[in-house]
Amino acid sequence: MTRGSFAARALAQLRSWLRSVMHRGRLESEMEAELANHLDSLTADLVRAGQLPDEAARRARIELGSATVLKEEMRASLGLRWWDELHADLRYGARVLMKSPGVTAVAAISLALAIGANTTIFSLTKQLLYTRLDVPHAENLRLLAWTGTENHVAVHHVWGDWNPLPGGRAASTAFSYPVYRQLRAGGQVLDSLFAFKRMGMIATIGDDGQRVRTELVSGNYFDSLGLRPQMGRAIESSDDTTPGQGAVAVISDQFWDRAYGRSPAVLGTQVKLNDISFTVVGIAPSGFTGVKDALLSVDFFIPLAMQPLVLPRRGSPSLFTDSRTWWVNIMGCARPGISDSQAQAELNGELSAIVRATMRVKPGEDLPQLDLRDGSRGLFVQKNEYARPMTVLMILSGLVLLLGCANIANLMLARGAKRQREMSVRLALGAGRRRIVRQLLVESVLLASLGGACGLVTSYLGRNVLPRMIAATWEHTDFQINFDWKVFLFTVAITVFSGILFGLAPAFSASRAQLNHGLKESAQTATRRRKGAGGKALVGFQIALSTLLVIGAGLFLRTLTGLSAVDVGFRTDHLLLAEVDPPNGRYLAGKDVALHQRLERAFSIVPGVVSVTLAEDPYIADDRSANDFLPQGEVYDPGKSQEENYNIVGNQFFTTLAIPILEGRGFGSQDTSSSPKVAVINQSLARQRFPGQDPIGKHFVTDPHDSDGGGGALPKNSIEIVGLCGDTRYMNLRDEPPPQFFLPYIQQASVGGMVYEIRTLPKPESVLPALRQIVRQIDPDLALVNVRTQQQQIDSTLQNERIFVMLTSGFGLLALALAAVGIYGIMAYSVAQRINEMGIRLALGATPRQLLAMVLREASWLSIAGIGAGAGVCLLLAQLVKSMLYGIAPNDPLTFFGTAMLLIAIALVASWIPACRAASVQPIDALRHE
Amino acid sequence: MPPKPDQQDELLQGTLDMLILKAVSLGPLHGYGVLLRIQQISGEKLVIQQGSLYPALYRLEHQGAIASEWGESENNRRAKYYRLTPEGRKRLGEEAERWNRMAGIIGSIMKTRKA
Repeated sequence: MTRGSFAARALAQLRSWLRSVMHRGRLESEMEAELANHLDSLTADLVRAGQLPDEAARRARIELGSATVLKEEMRASLGLRWWDELHADLRYGARVLMKSPGVTAVAAISLALAIGANTTIFSLTKQLLYTRLDVPHAENLRLLAWTGTENHVAVHHVWGDWNPLPGGRAASTAFSYPVYRQLRAGGQVLDSLFAFKRMGMIATIGDDGQRVRTELVSGNYFDSLGLRPQMGRAIESSDDTTPGQGAVAVISDQFWDRAYGRSPAVLGTQVKLNDISFTVVGIAPSGFTGVKDALLSVDFFIPLAMQPLVLPRRGSPSLFTDSRTWWVNIMGCARPGISDSQAQAELNGELSAIVRATMRVKPGEDLPQLDLRDGSRGLFVQKNEYARPMTVLMILSGLVLLLGCANIANLMLARGAKRQREMSVRLALGAGRRRIVRQLLVESVLLASLGGACGLVTSYLGRNVLPRMIAATWEHTDFQINFDWKVFLFTVAITVFSGILFGLAPAFSASRAQLNHGLKESAQTATRRRKGAGGKALVGFQIALSTLLVIGAGLFLRTLTGLSAVDVGFRTDHLLLAEVDPPNGRYLAGKDVALHQRLERAFSIVPGVVSVTLAEDPYIADDRSANDFLPQGEVYDPGKSQEENYNIVGNQFFTTLAIPILEGRGFGSQDTSSSPKVAVINQSLARQRFPGQDPIGKHFVTDPHDSDGGGGALPKNSIEIVGLCGDTRYMNLRDEPPPQFFLPYIQQASVGGMVYEIRTLPKPESVLPALRQIVRQIDPDLALVNVRTQQQQIDSTLQNERIFVMLTSGFGLLALALAAVGIYGIMAYSVAQRINEMGIRLALGATPRQLLAMVLREASWLSIAGIGAGAGVCLLLAQLVKSMLYGIAPNDPLTFFGTAMLLIAIALVASWIPACRAASVQPIDALRHE
Repeated sequence: MPPKPDQQDELLQGTLDMLILKAVSLGPLHGYGVLLRIQQISGEKLVIQQGSLYPALYRLEHQGAIASEWGESENNRRAKYYRLTPEGRKRLGEEAERWNRMAGIIGSIMKTRKA
């Protein structure tokens, strides 16, 4: 047969099959009519041949054969047979599932949760850790980074990321502009190096000030990435030549949408960024989020050359000739034929030469070592924060998936055993083994589909719920999990596949059932015992999984309660935090301090406000400032870390936060810009740097070695310690209170942006409108940003922990429920099987109490084995979560012991009913049961 | 007219489809008509299992070789008439040719005598 006619026939068959399925009723009546016609004609012919009508009709029927069989064969000719059988299997399967709605619901819910949790968590992981930048050939992008020893690297001023590595080293992706310029001019191991820097800025469009994300980009940025603007023009090399020139901006697609409603009229309009006017010249392609990361889109792109105007540095505003401050990020494209290690070695050589040529490298300091990284995901800063939690979450949700599968398996196993008789009857009536296997398979798939459908709903909801839990409550966020169909289908496929896999074993064993054994009332013990063992292993496995999940929940719960109970050292309630960040360009050194003094005074008389202070760093917000601290008599030693944490604060700081002054005094109105410089230190600092001495009245200097200039925000003359205060936590709840010293902001030359901390009598939010009003009156271009209460701030740092507790508790509860159902099922089954044995035992003199104990003992052993296995695996996995825990070891005995007790208790409760049934057996009934 | 059993041959396996196609190629027929026509052409020498006819008709229609529509029969009853489709005509040609080839080969084999 030719290929064409084969295709034609296949098409005809499909059409005919569809027609038959769609118009089933008409088909049936037509078959009926056709056969009746045939019979009539045949009968008529026979009568014509001389037969009596009755006899003719009888012979005609015999010759044609049974109409039922004929119709069956005709349907088979149309390819309807498997369809009909599937239909019947589905109907029967649905009936079987409906007959035990409780069990079906448990299985479907566990599957739904497993699929939902896995889809959500895998989608989130994929998005957080695997999303690439939306640029052509993202895989070719390389990010330049460097590593150096944490304390002695020649680079002292990093304005950018700084990540401590194990072994006393640290890594950063920030470079000085001269390094960028010379790398670009130098070797050719990477194509088109370009530079960028992501910053938060205040954008003023019309009268409305808002916080925006801005990327300062080199002139070749868009060109190197291969991006063309969707409207207008990109930032070009000519925009990025003279510092301070080139006030043009490209906006992102997202910002165009959010702020301008996609109006094309935006091109050519003016917008103020940090008080500097820019002309909007283009709109970046949609989907492009800037190269810093692929998660949160940037709003503005402006030329790097604008840095001295929009982000002036105190002292020397321009960073283009500053080789000490490392701030700019560099990327390039891999060149074909040059391996990454080659490129890295070459660039490292160049970097060392440039550093030696442009910076003073003191003896004992090491040069930064270049580290060439994959740039397809931008700076990929989220890796540090999320890689480990996401791994843990994926493992946990994977365990839930396993649990869901085990549950289906258990269900199918139990059902298979219960239906052995049914299968034997079917076999005896002539059903094929394949038909029986298919029937059972259809049932598993039906169950799995039910779970899958519920799972779809769960994961769709999870997509909305999870980001809400992650994001800080007071911040607008456009981050959401894209519902990932591929992940969902993958999860469903895995679940259905494992459901079928587990369902297959009982299906095959059912189809192999020995006919006469199955039909006899009592001859099943031999086969059933084997099945009982399989079921027990499964229940043991479920208990082990439950142990794991419950221990996990316990560890995270203890961590969360531990962290929530931490005494931070200051009063956290009724405390409002809000930032004011005066633009450096307009508020030069000194003017910013005056502005803050004005604001502080104005805020303090707002009704409802108890007291106001301001601080450089709010607490428990992952912020930190540190500087050298040299008490009189100590000298600067580059080989020693003499750094301490500090905070620049208002005069009311200690009273507003209710930090006790233990000795001496806090700051007060006597401390002014012209009075002698004073400081307060905390207990830890006193203990560490003034052991056995009274620190009050001692003098110290800070930042003495910074002879090369930058960052000299602190005065160089000596400062007197006038007070000793209680310890407080600083960056987070986990770290012990660090040593700290406090300086009044009034005595600083310049402070820049500060966080206002406002103690209120009514709810903190209630004074907010009045505060905003004051800021607007003093300077319409200023805004109160990042407004939140101290409690919200603390809660946001516990978000990860809270998510973990919620998820693991949910998983743990589900696991417990499933384990309980499993134990109950297996014990009930075992007791039902052994009614005879119980009867004999009773007849031979066993007491009901002994039988009860026997059943409970069996359940206990089963659960102890499962708990042991689960706890063992948990000890191995616990190292993974060690860094996520607080106040407890990963093998926390209380959690382990508590979990074991809980599971044993559940096992005993779940097997209580079967045990009672065993104990209440009447010997005579049991023996007659045979 | 039903034939007498003793002078009749059973149908060779696999030839029913071809015979049905041939029968309806001479003009549209209903199921009983197909049966009658085959027996008539064969000179009442072929017997067709009445029961095997309808599954074969349905199979051929399913494969697109014949098409059916309801019409009036000679005794004024509604009957389903089958007719050959272009696809079926092609198939009939192919099968007839194969059959003839086969019959020729087998015939020549059977005619071979001992040398």
